[in-house]
Amino acid sequence: MTVIKIKDLTKTYTDTAVPVHAVNGINLDIKEGEFTAIVGPSGCGKTTLMNMIGGIEDPTSGSVEVNGIDIDKLSSHEMINFRLKNIGFVFQAYNLIPVLTAKENVEFIMQLQNRDKDEMDKRTISLLESVGLGDRLNSRPNQLSGGEQQRVAVARALASKPKFVLADEPTANLDSHATSQLLDIMERLNKEENITFIFSTHDQRVVDKAHRIITLLDGEVISDEITKRAEGKEK
Amino acid sequence: MLLIKIAWRNIWRSKLRSAVVMLAIASGLVGGLFSSAWMNGMAKQRVKDTFSIETAHIQFHNAEFADNFDVKKTILNTEEKLEELSKTEGIKAVTSRLKTSAMAATANKNMGVTIVGILPKNEKEVFGLYKKLDSANGDFFETKKKNSIVISKALATELKAKLKSKIVLTFQDYNGEITGAAFKVIGIFKTTNSTWDKMHVFVRAADLRKVLELPEGQSHEIDILLDDYNQAMIISEQLQKRYPDVLSEDWSKIQPYINFITKYMDIMMGVFMLIILGALGFGIVNTMLMVILERTRELGMLMAIGMTKRRVFVMIMYETIFLALVGALLGELISMLLINYYGNAGIDLSSMAEGLETVGYSVITFPELEPVRYIQITVMVFATGILASIYPAIKALKLDPASAIRTI
Repeated sequence: MTVIKIKDLTKTYTDTAVPVHAVNGINLDIKEGEFTAIVGPSGCGKTTLMNMIGGIEDPTSGSVEVNGIDIDKLSSHEMINFRLKNIGFVFQAYNLIPVLTAKENVEFIMQLQNRDKDEMDKRTISLLESVGLGDRLNSRPNQLSGGEQQRVAVARALASKPKFVLADEPTANLDSHATSQLLDIMERLNKEENITFIFSTHDQRVVDKAHRIITLLDGEVISDEITKRAEGKEK
Repeated sequence: MLLIKIAWRNIWRSKLRSAVVMLAIASGLVGGLFSSAWMNGMAKQRVKDTFSIETAHIQFHNAEFADNFDVKKTILNTEEKLEELSKTEGIKAVTSRLKTSAMAATANKNMGVTIVGILPKNEKEVFGLYKKLDSANGDFFETKKKNSIVISKALATELKAKLKSKIVLTFQDYNGEITGAAFKVIGIFKTTNSTWDKMHVFVRAADLRKVLELPEGQSHEIDILLDDYNQAMIISEQLQKRYPDVLSEDWSKIQPYINFITKYMDIMMGVFMLIILGALGFGIVNTMLMVILERTRELGMLMAIGMTKRRVFVMIMYETIFLALVGALLGELISMLLINYYGNAGIDLSSMAEGLETVGYSVITFPELEPVRYIQITVMVFATGILASIYPAIKALKLDPASAIRTI
C-alpha cells in the first residue's frame, strides 16, 4: 500500500541572488513498511525533499500525497495537526526538549494529542524499553549520550503511532557504535512493527542497512534501487 | 500542565540570566514599594495627626462663622446637640469648642493667635493634643485653677514664655468690646506642625465664655470623632439634614489639603509603579527576545513535530509571566520585610526636622503599605508579564520551522 505519493515535485529558492533549484521534478512512491534511504552529496536536495514530505516546507510545484491527502492543500494549522498525527520526526541534532526527561520527551507528543494518561505511561515505557532505554526514563538529554538521545528521539517519533518516520541524517553526530545500535533498533522496529522509515543520509553504514536506496543529484533522482536486505525482509 | 512544566523549567535553563532579570524586577519593586510605603507612611501620619490634633472627622459651625471668626456666629443648643450626637451610631465621641482670634502678649512680645476654649474631659475623648505634653512640660488642664492656658513650645519660644508665665490675651467680646485677661501657662505642647502650633492656644471653655460674655448653650464649633473616618462624608450629610441650623463639614472639606494628600498618594504610587513596571517590561521583552533567538532551532523543532502556534505562544507567555512573577514575589517579600522593620523602628529624619515640622510632617516616619497594595502590585506585574510576552511570542510564531531547524 502506497503511503507517500510524490508527483513532479519541485522546490526553487528565490530568496537567493540566483534562484536555486533544490528539488527538480521528483516522482516517487513510498510503500508502507519500507526502510528507505535518500542519499546523495551535500546540497543535492535531500533535506529539502524530506522537509516537503514532512510538510515543513511548501513545494514550488507538484504535490506530496500522504494516504491520498495532498498535504500542500492543508492550512498551516491543519498541517501541524497532520504532522502530529501522521509523521514522526528524527532530526540530526537538537532533537529533544532539554528541560524534559527521556520519559517526558516521549510523552510530549502524546500529551499534544491529549491521550489518556495510563495509555501514555504504558506506551512511553514500552517505547523506551524497545530502544534500550528502559533504565533511563528520568534522565534529561544532557545526561544522555548522543546515541541515547537519538534513541529517545526515535521513541518519541513513534509515540504518536505515525504513518511513517522521517529521519534527517540521524547518525550524523554519532560514533560507529551508537550508529550501529540506532540502525539496529530502527531496522527491528521496521521488521517487527512494519513501521515505514525514510531517512536522508550520506553515511555508508546507514546506506548498507537500507532496503531501498534513492540517490539524488542536483535535485533529481538518478537511481532508485531495492537492496538485497529488502528481499531478506520479504522472505 | 505540560506547557506550564516546560515554561517553568525553561526559565531555569539560563540561571544567571533569569536571576539577573528577577533581581532587576525585585530591586525595582523594592525601590517602588518602599518609597511608596515611606510616602504613604508620611501622609498617613499627617492625616492621623490632623484628625487627632486639628479637625477630628466632622465639624459643625455656624454657617457664617468661618467667614471672619465672628464670635456672635454661634451654634445654639450645644449641650442638646452633644447629647444627641453622642448617642448616634458611628460616632465615637463629641466635644464643643469656643474659638476667637486674639493677641497673645508677654512682657517680651505679642503675637496673633486663635484661642480655643475647650471642655477638657470631652476634648481628650476627641483630640489627642493632651498626649503631646510630657510631664516636664506641665499638664493638660489636670488642675482646676482658673485662667490656665496651654500653649505650644513654638509659641513659648516666640513669646519667651515658660511654665507659670503669664500671657495676656486681648480680643473682642460678644458685645463687640475689646476685652482681655491674663492666663497662666500650665502646659506646653509640641505637635509635628510648628506652623499650627504657633497659632493656637488652649484655655478652658468656661474661662473663655466668661471673658467673652458668651451666653450659655452657645459654642463656635462641635467636633465629632467617628468610628471610621471613611464614613465621614456620608455621616456628615446625614447630620446636615438633621441639623439644618449648622454647617456640617467632613474632614475633606475642612482640610482639603489632607484630602488632596490621600488622593495624591494613591495617584503617585500608581504613576510610580507604572514607570517602574514599564521599564521592567522592556527589560523582560529584551530578555525574552534573546531567549527566542537562542532557541530558534528548538522552537522550529517543536513546531515541526506538532506543537501548534497557539501552544508556542502560550509557552512563551508562561515563561515571561513566571520570570516576572518570581522576581515580583521576591521583591514583595524583601519589601515586606523592610517595610515591616522600618514600620516599627521608624525612619529618623531629624536632619530635616525644621522643614518637615513647618509643613506638618513628623520627624520620625513609619513606612506602611496596606496588604491590598501587594495584591495590586502582583496583578500589575502579571499584566506586565502578559504584555511583555506578546512581542517575543509573536516573533516566535513568525519562525519558519524549516529555516529554524537549519539555524545553528
